[in-house]
Amino acid sequence: MNFSIGNYFRSTFSATRNWEPLGWVFAGMNLIFLVFAVGLAIFLLVESIPIVRLEGFEFWWGEDWWVGETYGALPMIWGSFIVTGLAVILVLPIALSGALFTSEYLSPPFRRRVKGVMELLAGVPGIIYGLLGVSLLTTGIKDAFNLLDGNTLFTAGCLLAIMILPTVLTLSEDALHSVPSEFREAAEGLGLTKLQTAWRVVLPQSLSGIAGAMLLGIGRAMGETIAVMLVIGSLDRVSGFNLFVSGQTIPSKLGREAAEALGSGEHWSALMGLGLTLFLMVAVLTIFGNIFKHWSNR
Amino acid sequence: MTAITIEKVVRVFIAGITFIIIGLLVSIFSIMFIKGFPAFHDDFLFAESKDFGRAGGVFYQSAGTLILMTTAVLLSLPVALGSVLFQTEYLASGKFKTLLTQLTYLLNATPTILFGLVGYLFFGVYLDTGVSWVTGSMILAVMILPTLQVSLREAVEALPQKYREAGMALGLSRSSQIRRVILPQCFYGIVTGVLLGLARAAGETAAIMFTATTFSGIQFPQSFSDPVPTLQTHILILAQEAAHPESIAQAWGSGLVLLGLVFILTLMAWLIRTRVVMESEL
Repeated sequence: MNFSIGNYFRSTFSATRNWEPLGWVFAGMNLIFLVFAVGLAIFLLVESIPIVRLEGFEFWWGEDWWVGETYGALPMIWGSFIVTGLAVILVLPIALSGALFTSEYLSPPFRRRVKGVMELLAGVPGIIYGLLGVSLLTTGIKDAFNLLDGNTLFTAGCLLAIMILPTVLTLSEDALHSVPSEFREAAEGLGLTKLQTAWRVVLPQSLSGIAGAMLLGIGRAMGETIAVMLVIGSLDRVSGFNLFVSGQTIPSKLGREAAEALGSGEHWSALMGLGLTLFLMVAVLTIFGNIFKHWSNR
Repeated sequence: MTAITIEKVVRVFIAGITFIIIGLLVSIFSIMFIKGFPAFHDDFLFAESKDFGRAGGVFYQSAGTLILMTTAVLLSLPVALGSVLFQTEYLASGKFKTLLTQLTYLLNATPTILFGLVGYLFFGVYLDTGVSWVTGSMILAVMILPTLQVSLREAVEALPQKYREAGMALGLSRSSQIRRVILPQCFYGIVTGVLLGLARAAGETAAIMFTATTFSGIQFPQSFSDPVPTLQTHILILAQEAAHPESIAQAWGSGLVLLGLVFILTLMAWLIRTRVVMESEL
């Protein structure tokens, strides 16, 4: 009928006139949440304008980062991709095997226990992984591969793989488990074994959920700061595909330099530019991850 | 015949991987225990740290972590509870609700270091709180907002429809419905959310390391503009002093305290949640 903003408002917020004061208080709280969520992105955008004005799009292509002279983000972006890529390759087969076994072979009480262990593992603070990494993993990798320095991209990738394992495992297990049991019964009724059912029926049905789990795991890996910062060696350079050299990721760079640049100047703006880049990458991963996950739930 | 052999091999293989994954938790905990326990001399938990963290205990560091995480949850809980109740009880538009949910997920996935950067600028510079425990608490409060929201929304949405219907049949207004039915029934869900929020705030380092904390030589904050020492940053600094074995030993000790704190909070959240699930199945 006659559309008006008033009508739209009334249909959006049910029975607006019946709101008591409490309703307005809650609406205010919601507004605070909204302001922080949107404000975060806007702040990053506004604060990185000066550096883009100064460096132009060279900011994302430049290979040199000398504070006070030139700011190029490529080493950090490259490092982030290499490290997360490595973590994904390492974690995928392990997490999928674990998820398949938990979902298809374990009885409900044991399944709940495995999920519980995953939740506890996911809660282990990053600094603890950092401590374990810096005192055990770096020396282990140094000795195993005969390196001069154990602080390498490979070390960071391994550590990240361990860190995102619980997230990826539990989310892909959810996807496998959400496949209706009729599918399994039908497949087994046709004479397929349990493994065949899992491989040919359950897995294809839950592919989008598993993809979602991977994307969300990658998003977590990309943003991890402390653990990576302690084991990556913090050297800004584009190292090609050589994994056994020191490097830098966006968050490790931010963690190393935020305290020096605090609050103002072009160095700060350059860091905010890095932050914006990181935020956009993680946002894209998260949004697609959630879309895939949502598809699988339907 | 071969199909059955493959079946068995694969099953043993993936079972083995699963056990290794579970073993990961066990080994992380035992390494922390073996390495961290020697640092627990007489009063590790109740003594001041001395000699730049190389000796003494972690009393003020633990206190700092506790101050930051509790203040963060106290600040975050009203906002989280208010916005969840707004979204579940008042908001009718499905699209707007979906948008808000997606925003929650996005905020949840945002790298924590970004909360530190933006939060420092917003609270520390514009609200002029500087590098202080207040800045840190506010940053952590925003960071754990999605954690709280997700568990609170789960609790509110898990409420059986019949409770609402009973309330409506008695002619309760929306606000009395919330006060008399929803909040009391969701009490344990709220406690779970609070515990998980505390655990997340306790484990966070990146967002507070340059906005709220200092390394040593400070005790309880005397004013709103003082930084605090925390377990997380204590470990961070000590872990990088590879030249001093006693620093590393202290780092393991502090790590064990922190891990213990986070585990206890998570396990408590678990126990309460299982209790809620059992009640709702009655």
